[in-house]
Amino acid sequence: MNDMRLIDRKTTMNEIKIAAEGVDVFYGESHALKDVSVDIEERTVTAFIGPSGCGKSTFLRCLNRMNDTIPTARVTGRITLDGEDIYAPSVDPVQLRAKVGMVFQKPNPFPKSIYDNVAYGPRIHGLSRNKAELDEIVENSLRRAALWDEAKDRLAEPGTGLSGGQQQRLCIARAVATAPEVLLMDEPCSALDPIATAQVEELIDELRQNFSVVIVTHSMQQAARVSQKTAFFHLGHLVEYDDTDTIFQNPRDTRTESYITGRIG
Amino acid sequence: MTDMTAGAAPVRGTLVADAHTRKRNASEKRFRLYGAIAVSLAVIALVFLLTSIVRNGAGAFMQTYISLDVTLDAAKLDKSGNRNPVEMAKVTTFGYAPLIKDAMASTIAANGIEIEGLDKPEDLISKEASAQMRDVVLANPELVGETRRFEFVADGRIDGYYKGRVTMQSAERDSNVTPAQLRFADALKEAGLLETRFNWNFITWPDASENRPEVSGLGVAILGSFYMMLIVLGLALPIGVAASIYLEEFAPRNRLTDLIEVNISNLAAVPSIVFGILGLAIFINFVGLPQSAPIVGGLVLTLMTLPTIIITTRASLTAVPPSIREAALGVGASKMQTVFHHVLPLAGPGIMTGTIIGLAQALGETAPLLLIGMVAFVREYPSAPPEGFFEPATALPVQVFNWTQRADPAFIERASGAIIVLLVFLFIMNAIAVVLRRRFERRW
Repeated sequence: MNDMRLIDRKTTMNEIKIAAEGVDVFYGESHALKDVSVDIEERTVTAFIGPSGCGKSTFLRCLNRMNDTIPTARVTGRITLDGEDIYAPSVDPVQLRAKVGMVFQKPNPFPKSIYDNVAYGPRIHGLSRNKAELDEIVENSLRRAALWDEAKDRLAEPGTGLSGGQQQRLCIARAVATAPEVLLMDEPCSALDPIATAQVEELIDELRQNFSVVIVTHSMQQAARVSQKTAFFHLGHLVEYDDTDTIFQNPRDTRTESYITGRIG
Repeated sequence: MTDMTAGAAPVRGTLVADAHTRKRNASEKRFRLYGAIAVSLAVIALVFLLTSIVRNGAGAFMQTYISLDVTLDAAKLDKSGNRNPVEMAKVTTFGYAPLIKDAMASTIAANGIEIEGLDKPEDLISKEASAQMRDVVLANPELVGETRRFEFVADGRIDGYYKGRVTMQSAERDSNVTPAQLRFADALKEAGLLETRFNWNFITWPDASENRPEVSGLGVAILGSFYMMLIVLGLALPIGVAASIYLEEFAPRNRLTDLIEVNISNLAAVPSIVFGILGLAIFINFVGLPQSAPIVGGLVLTLMTLPTIIITTRASLTAVPPSIREAALGVGASKMQTVFHHVLPLAGPGIMTGTIIGLAQALGETAPLLLIGMVAFVREYPSAPPEGFFEPATALPVQVFNWTQRADPAFIERASGAIIVLLVFLFIMNAIAVVLRRRFERRW
C-alpha cells in the first residue's frame, strides 16, 4: 500500500540515488563529456535524450564504470551511489555492476538456456544457497521482466531462440536477477518493433516501483512516455535537466526547444 | 522542346539492355568463366595427383606370400640338443638359410614342378625369412625337429611380378631375378603355395634395409609421428591458447604488445627448416636431448605450430561479439569470468579447428626433422611414453623422403603407399576439425 502511494506522489519528493558532480570523460584526446552534474532520484525513470554522439551513452556507462573496459577512456569528477564515491580506489567495479545493472541497445542474451541466462548473475555473485532458491530468483526475475508466462515452459531452450522483444526482456530479467538498485538502459528499444517496444516501455514503468531506472533514448516520444525526469545532452554538455513535463512543454534553453521541435539533431 | 520525337527514334524502354548494360553483363559472364576455369584447373590437378599416388601406392598395401613346409633340423639349429634358447641363439640367421633351401627343394619335388634353367629357387623368398624363422624357433624351442608350415614374404621382385612392376622381359635384363624364377613363382601359385593379399605388415612393421623392400613398413614412423603429435598437442595447445587469451583480452595495448604481435605473425612465415636449425642448436647441442627422438621433433614442431594456433585462436576470440563481453560485465562478472564462462566457449570451435589444422601441418612437416636426425634408419620400435619420447624414431613424411631415395623400385611403391597413409591421417584430422566446427558452432 505504501508503495502505491509513493508512486502516486510527485517524484521530486524522492531521495537522491546517484549524484554526479562535474563529470568529464575523455576518450584519448577527445573530450566526450564536459562538466556534467546530475542527481538521479530513487524510484524514478530518468531519460537521457540528445542527438547522436552527444555523450548520453558515455555518461550512462560512467554510472556502472563500463567505461573502465575501454583502455583509452578517462573519467574525472565525482559520482556517488548512496553517498559512496563509485570511483574511489577501494570500490570494486564488479561489485558495483551487480548493484547497477545494465541493459544494452541490442538484445544480447548469452547463447545458453533461458534459465542459465537469468541464473548466471546470481550464480557468480552467490545470491542463492541452493537450487530451490535459484529457481525462485529466476522465476521472480522473469516475472518482473513480464516474460514468465511466455518462457516458463521453455526454460531449457536457448535464449537466442526467442524473438527480439522477448530477448530484450530476457536481458532485463538477467539484469534484475542480481538484485540491483539502479537499472541502466542504453536505447533498449532501438532494435525492437513497435509492439515489443510498447511491452518494454510498460515494463520500465513497472520496474520503477523497485529500481531507479536510467534510460538513454533516441525517441523523444519514448522519453515523454516513460520518464519522470529528462536530461538533454548536446555536444558533450548537459544542457537541461528537469521534470519531463517541464522539458517537453516549457524548456528553458533554446537548444532544448530546437531539439524537441526537431530543428537540431 | 520537351516532346521526345515519338516514332522517329528507336524504342528505348527502360527494361531493354543498352550498350552499357550489355558490357556490364558480358564482364560478369567473363568473370564467372575465369572462376569456373580456375576451379576446374584446381580440381584436375588434385584428381591427377590423387590418381597417380593411388596408382603408384596401392600396391604397397598388397603383398605376395609363399607357404613352405620347413623341417627344423635339430642338427643345424640346436647342436647341443638341450633346447636351451640361450645356446640356440648362437645360430645366426645364416644357419637358417640352408633350411629354406632344403624346404624349397622338397617343395619342388613334392609338387612335381619342372622349370628349365631354374637357379636358386630360394631367392623367391625374402632375405628376411631366415630371421623370421629364427624368431619363431627361439620363442618356441620345442618346435625344433618338427616340420612346420611357414608363410614367408616373397622377394620384392616376385611381389612386383604380381603387381605388374616386373615382367618376363624386364626380368631378362635384371640381375636380381630370372624369367625361370618367375615361371617357378607361377607354378607355386598354381599349386596354391603363393598368394597375394592385403598387407597389414606395411602399417605395423618397421623400416627395412635397402635390399629387402618387401618387409619394410611404417610402424616406427607412425609411432614416431604419433608421439610427436602428442607432444605438440600437449605443449602448443595450452601455451598457444593461454598466450592468445592474454594478448587478446588482458594485455594492455602498447609498444611491447605490438612488437610481440608483429613477431608472432613473422614467426608464422619463417621457413620450417629454420626451426630445424634452431632445434638442432638449442635442444640437441645446448640442452643435450637425444638425436632422432620424438621429444626433439615434438618441441621443434611445437615452436612451428604455436604461431598458427595463436593466430587462429586470436581470430576466433575477436570473432566473439563484444556484446557478449558487455553482457557478462554488465551483470557483474569479472574479466576472467567473462573470458572463461562466455568468450572461450564461443571461441572453442574456432580454437579446435585452428589446433587441428596446426597439427595437420606439423604432421606433414619434413624439413626440420631432417636436421634433428629423424631421418635415421630406425628398426626398433620406441617404447611406450614417456620413455618412448626419448628413444629414436622416424616420422611419416621423413619415411617417404627416405624411401624415395632408395634404388629398388619397390621402394617407390612403398613411398607412395606411405603418402597414402599420411594423406589418410591428414584427411581424418581435417574431417574431425570440420565435424567439431559444425557440431559446436553456436549462433548469437
